Amino acid sequence: MTIAPVRVESAVPVEAQPATQQPKGRKGLVITLVLAVAAIFWISPLALLVITAVRPLSDFIGNGPLSWPDAFTWSNFKDAWGIGNFATTYRNSALLALMKVPLGVLISAMLGFALAKLRMKFRRTVMFTVFLGLTIPIYIAIVPVFIMMRQAGATDSLFGLIGPYLAFGIPFEVLVLQSFFRQIPDEIIEAAKVDGAGDWRVFFTMILPLSLPALVTVAILDAVATWNEFLFALILLNSDAHKTIPVGLLNFQGQFANNNTGLAAGILIAVVPILIAYTLLQRWIVGGLTAGATKG
Amino acid sequence: MFALPALVVYIAFLIYPALSSLFFSLTNWDGLSATYKFVGLENYVKLPSDPVVVEAVRNNLIWTVVTIAVPTVIGLALAIALNGKVHGKPILRLIFYTPAVLPLVSIASIWGWLYNPQYGAINSFLRLIGLDGLAQPWLGQDSTALWAVMVPAIWLRTGFPMLLYLAALQGIPNELYEAATVDGATRWQQFWHVTMPSLRPAHYIVLALSLIDSFKVFDMIYAMTYGGPGTSTQVMGTWMYFNVFQYYQAGYGTAIAVVITLVAIAVGIPYVRSQTREAS
Repeated sequence: MTIAPVRVESAVPVEAQPATQQPKGRKGLVITLVLAVAAIFWISPLALLVITAVRPLSDFIGNGPLSWPDAFTWSNFKDAWGIGNFATTYRNSALLALMKVPLGVLISAMLGFALAKLRMKFRRTVMFTVFLGLTIPIYIAIVPVFIMMRQAGATDSLFGLIGPYLAFGIPFEVLVLQSFFRQIPDEIIEAAKVDGAGDWRVFFTMILPLSLPALVTVAILDAVATWNEFLFALILLNSDAHKTIPVGLLNFQGQFANNNTGLAAGILIAVVPILIAYTLLQRWIVGGLTAGATKG
Repeated sequence: MFALPALVVYIAFLIYPALSSLFFSLTNWDGLSATYKFVGLENYVKLPSDPVVVEAVRNNLIWTVVTIAVPTVIGLALAIALNGKVHGKPILRLIFYTPAVLPLVSIASIWGWLYNPQYGAINSFLRLIGLDGLAQPWLGQDSTALWAVMVPAIWLRTGFPMLLYLAALQGIPNELYEAATVDGATRWQQFWHVTMPSLRPAHYIVLALSLIDSFKVFDMIYAMTYGGPGTSTQVMGTWMYFNVFQYYQAGYGTAIAVVITLVAIAVGIPYVRSQTREAS
C-alpha cells in the first residue's frame, strides 16, 4: 500500500471505469433515484437543523419539528451567538489552528524528509515508533499531560494545547508526507547537491515546493482535526474565556436544553465554518483520505 | 537535525505521558495529593471485579463490531452504486461524507436534539406515520441508549469506507470484468470473484483504520449520554475519565487506560508494521 495523496477525480483516467458499470440510461436513472432518496435521508438531520434554526420557538412547538415553518426569523442566531459565547470560542479555535497547523506540518515534513531521503540512524525504529502513535488513544496521555501543564502553569491556556496537539498529529502527517517525499527522484536531489546545495536548501527549495499538494492535504486534515478536538481541550481549559468550539458547544447545549430553535442555531454556528471549508476543499480532503486505497 | 523537533515533541507529549501513565497505574494516587503509594498490580487485579469495567468492555466490543461492520457494508454498497453511471455523483459523494468532517460534539448535539423525547424529530416522525407506540426516550433508558449512540456513529463513519472503496473500484481494470463476462459470469459472481478480491487492499485499510479508531471512542459517549443512564453506556475511555476526574482515583483510572491502549496497540501493530515495511 502506497500512502501517496492522489486526487481521485484527476488521477484516475476516465476509461478506467469497470465494464460492469455500463447500464443503459434507464437503469442508471433508477440507481440515481435510490441514491438520491438515501442522500436526502442522510442529510435530513442537517436539513432539519437549518429549518429549525430559522423559525421562532413558538412556531416550532406549535407545529412540531417536521413541519414547514409558518414564519422565519434570524433572532435564534443572535441569541445563540451571545449566550453561547461564540465570539470567544471562535477566536480561540481559529488562533489555535493558526498556531498549530503550520508548525505541525513543518516539523512533520522535516521528519518525513529525514526518514525518506536522508541517512539516519535507527531509521526503521524511529519510523515504527512514530507510526505506532496512530494507534494510541488520547486518554492514555491525559493524566500526565494534565500534571505536566499544571507544573508548567500552562493549564487553562491555548498554548498548553499546542504540544499535545502537535504530538498526536505527527504520526499521520509524517506517514503521509514521507511516502510522498519518497516518490521524488533521488537524481534531482543529487544534482542539486552537486551544485553545492545543502540539506536545508534542498528541503526548502525543492522538497517542499514539489510536495505542495501533499502539504495542502495534510494541512487541511490537520486543521479539521484541530478544530474538532475535544478531550484535551476539555481537561486543560477551565475558564470560558479560553474554551474552544467543541467545549463551548457542549456547555451551550446544556444551557439551551429547552430552547430547541436556539440550540439548532448554536449547533449551526459551530459547524458552518467546517461545512463551508469542506465543501470548498473537498477534493483535497477526499484525495488525502483515499490515498493508498488504489494500489496494493 | 531534521528529525529532532518532531521527535522531541512526539516524545515529550506522547511517549513520555503514555509511559508515565503506565507508572501511575501501579500506584494508589488520587490525582490531587502530593503523595502516593506504589501498589503493584493491585489496580489491574481489581479491574475484573468492577461491574462497570465489565459493562464497559462489553460496550466497547459491541461498539467495535457494530460501528465497523455497518459503516463498511453501507459504504461498500454506496461506493458500488456511485461507481455506476449515476447522475450528480459529486454532490452525492459530498453529502454522504459530510457527517465525517463535523466535530463529534456537534454530532452528539444534533442527535441528542433529534432524540429528544418530546420535541425530537425521531419520535415526531414515528407519531406521524402512526407508530406512536415506538416513540420512546431513546437516550434515557438502558435498553436503547447504547444503540441510540451508535446510530450517529454509523452516520459519521460510513463516508470514509465509501470514499476508499470508490477510489479502489476505479482502479479495477476493465478487462477483468470483460473476461468474466466472456466466461459467462453473472453480476453476482463478478462481484464475489472479481470485485471483492480486487478490493482486498481497501478492505485491509478500512478494517485496520476502523479498528484503531473504534478503541478511541470517548467524545460521542461523553457528549451524548455522559455514560448513562446509570452506567449503561460507559466505555473504557469514559470510565477512565470518570475515575480520574470525578472519583479521584487517578491510579485506577490510568490502569483502565493502559489496558485499552495495549489492546489498541496489539490490534494496530500489523498495520503499523505493514506501513513501516512499505517505507523501508
